[in-house]
Amino acid sequence: MIKRTYDWIDERLNVTPLWRDLADHDVPAHVNPANKMSSFVYCFGGLTFLIIVTQILSGMFLSMYYVPDINNAYYSVKYITDQVLLGQVVRGMHFWGASLVIIMMFLHMLRVFFTGAYKAPRELNWVVGVLIFVVVLAFGFTGYLLPWDQKAYWATSVGANLASAVPFIGPYLKILLAGGSTIGALTLTRFFAIHVFFLPAALLVLLGLHFIMIRKAGIAGPM
Amino acid sequence: MAGEDPREKIPGVPRRRPVHKEISDGREPFFPNFLLKEWIVGSIFLVGFMLWIIFNPVELGPKADPMDSSFIPVPDWYFLFLYQLLKYFGPYLLFPAVLIPMVATLLLMFVPWLDTRRSRRPFRRPFATGAMVLSVFMMIWLTSEAWNQHLYEIGALQPAASSLPFATQHPASTTLMATNLPGYAIFKTTCAVCHGADLQGQIGPELRGIGNVATEAELLPVVTKGFPPMMPPAGGLTSKTELQEVVAWLAQQKQK
Repeated sequence: MIKRTYDWIDERLNVTPLWRDLADHDVPAHVNPANKMSSFVYCFGGLTFLIIVTQILSGMFLSMYYVPDINNAYYSVKYITDQVLLGQVVRGMHFWGASLVIIMMFLHMLRVFFTGAYKAPRELNWVVGVLIFVVVLAFGFTGYLLPWDQKAYWATSVGANLASAVPFIGPYLKILLAGGSTIGALTLTRFFAIHVFFLPAALLVLLGLHFIMIRKAGIAGPM
Repeated sequence: MAGEDPREKIPGVPRRRPVHKEISDGREPFFPNFLLKEWIVGSIFLVGFMLWIIFNPVELGPKADPMDSSFIPVPDWYFLFLYQLLKYFGPYLLFPAVLIPMVATLLLMFVPWLDTRRSRRPFRRPFATGAMVLSVFMMIWLTSEAWNQHLYEIGALQPAASSLPFATQHPASTTLMATNLPGYAIFKTTCAVCHGADLQGQIGPELRGIGNVATEAELLPVVTKGFPPMMPPAGGLTSKTELQEVVAWLAQQKQK
């Protein structure tokens, strides 16, 4: 039954080559930890992606309860932490996962750097990787404000003030970022929108490019 | 890639028959062979992650209060190095807040065109490797400085002034005295980490003018005992003569 359904779809859409290409490409020996223990350094990129997936999932569940509003944001996070079933765990995943993504991504970057894997023909993939790094840091910056506690508020105040150090457009940039001259209701909704709509869109596009490019060029050979 | 592959194609799928089944070159198909192995690594990683989460519940601080400007702001740990950089430039925010991060990001982005040597081995391209190692050490150092200074600011490491055995002096003169004594050389490499190279105090309290309020005989038992957990007994010195030399030098610090 499953086979017949698959064949029916395949006849019409010819999907087999799509996933076969992904499934059948050979993974070279030097990146396989089953052959050599030290090949674990090649897992950092995959582990970063795994944690990004858990970030997306835990974030989706957190958004069921979170309210981006200065009166309720703090209490909604408190409610998630204290009342919601497993809320403490899901919030913990999202909080600690944020740090873990940055650690694993940094390790992945160091591995790529020290093995010289960014050299031709993979230069563009490195550029996309740096852009992913910037996007992830932006995730961290915008997400830090959302619980709306003292730490969040004052750290974001400092961060937003730094924007005004940019020559000429500084003050406008600060207003664009904070939604006004002070950190307030508009900043919170703005950071929420950036955190859950703008940045994920950018991240998914960049990750897609990152993966397509590494399939095209292949993993860098042994040193 | 496909042109020189000696293995025979299997019709209908882009898979090829292995030439000799027994001789393996270590390559294996991504799915399901490799992905399942990778999933083992991923599972162990996730179990460790979940254990960490369960034993480290996330705190929620007091609700944001825009009126309370006494709160000492601190960014998340991965921005601490940038935050620390700000402190070294005083009011000139343009460099640490805009130019340095921007130039660093651009340099990182254009690494493939800056490091154009053929070789991929890190030791064959010492400039690129050296620059990266140096940057990583700078970031780690700035992060730890920022964190120590933050702890100092919120007073988590500083013993309460009333619990100190000698009142902290704030003499006008900041010149060190009797720097020819052997105790000074020991102090510079050990105690100075917390009390400051110029005795100005950092994580530990300021020690300028300590000679005005304490004699060598009074200082020795206090230093020997230390202030656990902040300051280890004898400040971590293991040799008794070194301890006595440091105390002898401290007793000479009679700045007015």
